[in-house]
Amino acid sequence: MTPSHALTVLLEDRLITFNRAVGLLRRRNLPVHSIAVGPTADPGVSRLTIMVNSDDDTARRAAQQLEKVVGVRQAAAFAVSDAVTREMALVRIRARGDRYAELLDVVQLYHATIVDDTADTVMVELTGSEAFVLSGIRALERFEIVELARSGTMAMEVTGHASRVPSTVT
Amino acid sequence: MLTGSQILCRALLEQGVDVLFGYPGGAIMPFYHALPEFPGLRHVLVRHEQAAAHAADGFARASGRAGVCVATSGPGATNLVTGLATAHMDNTPVVAITGQVPRAMIGRDAFQETDIIGITQPVTKHSRLVQDVEELADAVREAFAVALEGRRGPVLLDVPKDVQAQKAPWVERGTAGPARNGVTAHTLCDEAARLVAEARRPLIMAGHGVILSDAYDELRTLAERTGIPVITTLLGISAFPESHPLHLGMPGMHGEVHVNRAIQQADLIIGVGLRFDDRVTGNLAAFARGARVIHIELDPSEVGKNVPVTVGLVGDAKTVLQSLLHRLAPRECEAWRAEIRAFVRPRTDAFRGGLSPESILEAIGEATRGRCTIVSDVGQHQMWVAKLFPYQRPNTHITSGGLGTMGFAVPAAMGVVLARPDEPVWAISGDGGFQMNMQEIATMVQEAIPVKMAIFNNGYLGMVRQWQQFFHGRRYSATPIWSPDYVRLADAYGIPGWRVERGDQVDDVLREAMGRPGPALVEFAIEQEANVFPMIPPGASLSEAIEAETATA
Repeated sequence: MTPSHALTVLLEDRLITFNRAVGLLRRRNLPVHSIAVGPTADPGVSRLTIMVNSDDDTARRAAQQLEKVVGVRQAAAFAVSDAVTREMALVRIRARGDRYAELLDVVQLYHATIVDDTADTVMVELTGSEAFVLSGIRALERFEIVELARSGTMAMEVTGHASRVPSTVT
Repeated sequence: MLTGSQILCRALLEQGVDVLFGYPGGAIMPFYHALPEFPGLRHVLVRHEQAAAHAADGFARASGRAGVCVATSGPGATNLVTGLATAHMDNTPVVAITGQVPRAMIGRDAFQETDIIGITQPVTKHSRLVQDVEELADAVREAFAVALEGRRGPVLLDVPKDVQAQKAPWVERGTAGPARNGVTAHTLCDEAARLVAEARRPLIMAGHGVILSDAYDELRTLAERTGIPVITTLLGISAFPESHPLHLGMPGMHGEVHVNRAIQQADLIIGVGLRFDDRVTGNLAAFARGARVIHIELDPSEVGKNVPVTVGLVGDAKTVLQSLLHRLAPRECEAWRAEIRAFVRPRTDAFRGGLSPESILEAIGEATRGRCTIVSDVGQHQMWVAKLFPYQRPNTHITSGGLGTMGFAVPAAMGVVLARPDEPVWAISGDGGFQMNMQEIATMVQEAIPVKMAIFNNGYLGMVRQWQQFFHGRRYSATPIWSPDYVRLADAYGIPGWRVERGDQVDDVLREAMGRPGPALVEFAIEQEANVFPMIPPGASLSEAIEAETATA
């Protein structure tokens, strides 16, 4: 199942605050698909993106509950259809010799980049929507995938949409 | 320069604290070393940390101020957990201070080290490990602000032993930020007022939020101006006078049949400061299917959580009710009230023998002339105490509602006494719950805390036995419970004690117990298999009550 909603949370970049926010997701039994976290332009503030499979109501309530966590500055919920979503994958592949050209074709088709190239393996960086990244990974599966790392999805609402799930009832 | 411990004490005084419930131990010893220098802080030494948390909770519920409890690291801290969870479920402001092993030892599985922040995260509103003495005073200020602001709750401060000994200057508090409170849009109040004006079968359901926001007058004005009958939930009991002609009673699993029928027939429910708990609604799919719902609630994430809401008014009950009242014209609900009166069943005497819970509670009401606070425990007696005592004054019924914590009454009543020293406080327990925290009689004696204790002794864990009777084929597994001789127990602690077996003894014993200074204990030997009626089976709808007649037939 692809996720239906994104929750974005701005929070203090302390482990305890992250722990509280994630603990809340577990306690409320939210159908979490992926989690991504990283710093923002604001020093001391991180941005957490949680992708979930849920209805509007559950997503909105989760944002409201996240906003109650001490250390959370802001939380919002929006439908994936109203957002740009991106994730990145690093894929280590064994494909030497006669199949190298074939690999380069796949890399080009998915606008991917070769970021490490050794005698045994090649590391490919792949970026896009989750569906795009998954499709790229499937294409790479025809070679031998040795190691795979995915970042989890980040989401940012596109502007100009009036259909945002409100985070407060009033 | 002050030590961290002195800063802690001073910060507590700054918050207006005058009593702490606690128990010393290794990691909190620097704090206890400083404590005698601050005579403004009265320390009550409990006999178990769980009691410290419940006493702080009782103090908070009765006073409206934050209650404070103190424990050492490790087992001291973990013993607080049940009390914190109790306060969390019922939104009580409690500040817990725990000692922690020195910073250099944290994470090394040191003696009496435990991750109390991790353990209490789901059952506190906030918790914080104080990493340096420089942040200690502000951490205390933050703890009280968080505990008391918005939807209230418990906060835990974990203070490593070496931080308690660190030195720093005392820094006066900065200006506090404004409290966050929801602001309700005027248009929504207009919409709510329109629903009230149009409704033909409206009901008010009042919960704990009315008591927490001191909205008694507003609630009463709302009811009297509109003629809408008032239901009080377990934690809303005493938010509206029991004897008021518009008062209907308690809803839900053990609610009166006419109350639940009224809910099922209603076309509008005005919920004030409650969260539509499953014990109130029964089967959600069948709850008040014909009713639109106005939900007045401080916490936006509660609106629509359990019950679909037509209009959600987010804010403090008192403020929201005031703005709603501005928009409400007087109306009456005579026809609807007559309809509800027709639902009322005459109470068939469900109790056998001359010593019914009803007669005991009536006698306590008479002996105190209604001027007392009742603290109940959890189980059958809790339902009797909720339904059969004539509460006339606000916030005179204190109980563990959300968590349903057995053993709550006796220690919580100690906190209530310290918050209300001028009126009698009765802790009413069953024989099961009483034995969970009866060690606190020693605290009452040492600290001169005059709790009057009543034990409803039926020799069973009565509520579980009742469920076994109805839903488990009368297999009374692990519910018969032996009790000590309570009169001799009282004697061992040096307090007066009585055992009442007949109805004609009740008044005299109560008069004597009330007349003696200090704590007193009265055991009532009630019918062994008395039941709480009516009862909605778990998971069933409010229309499916088991009543006394059907059960005995």
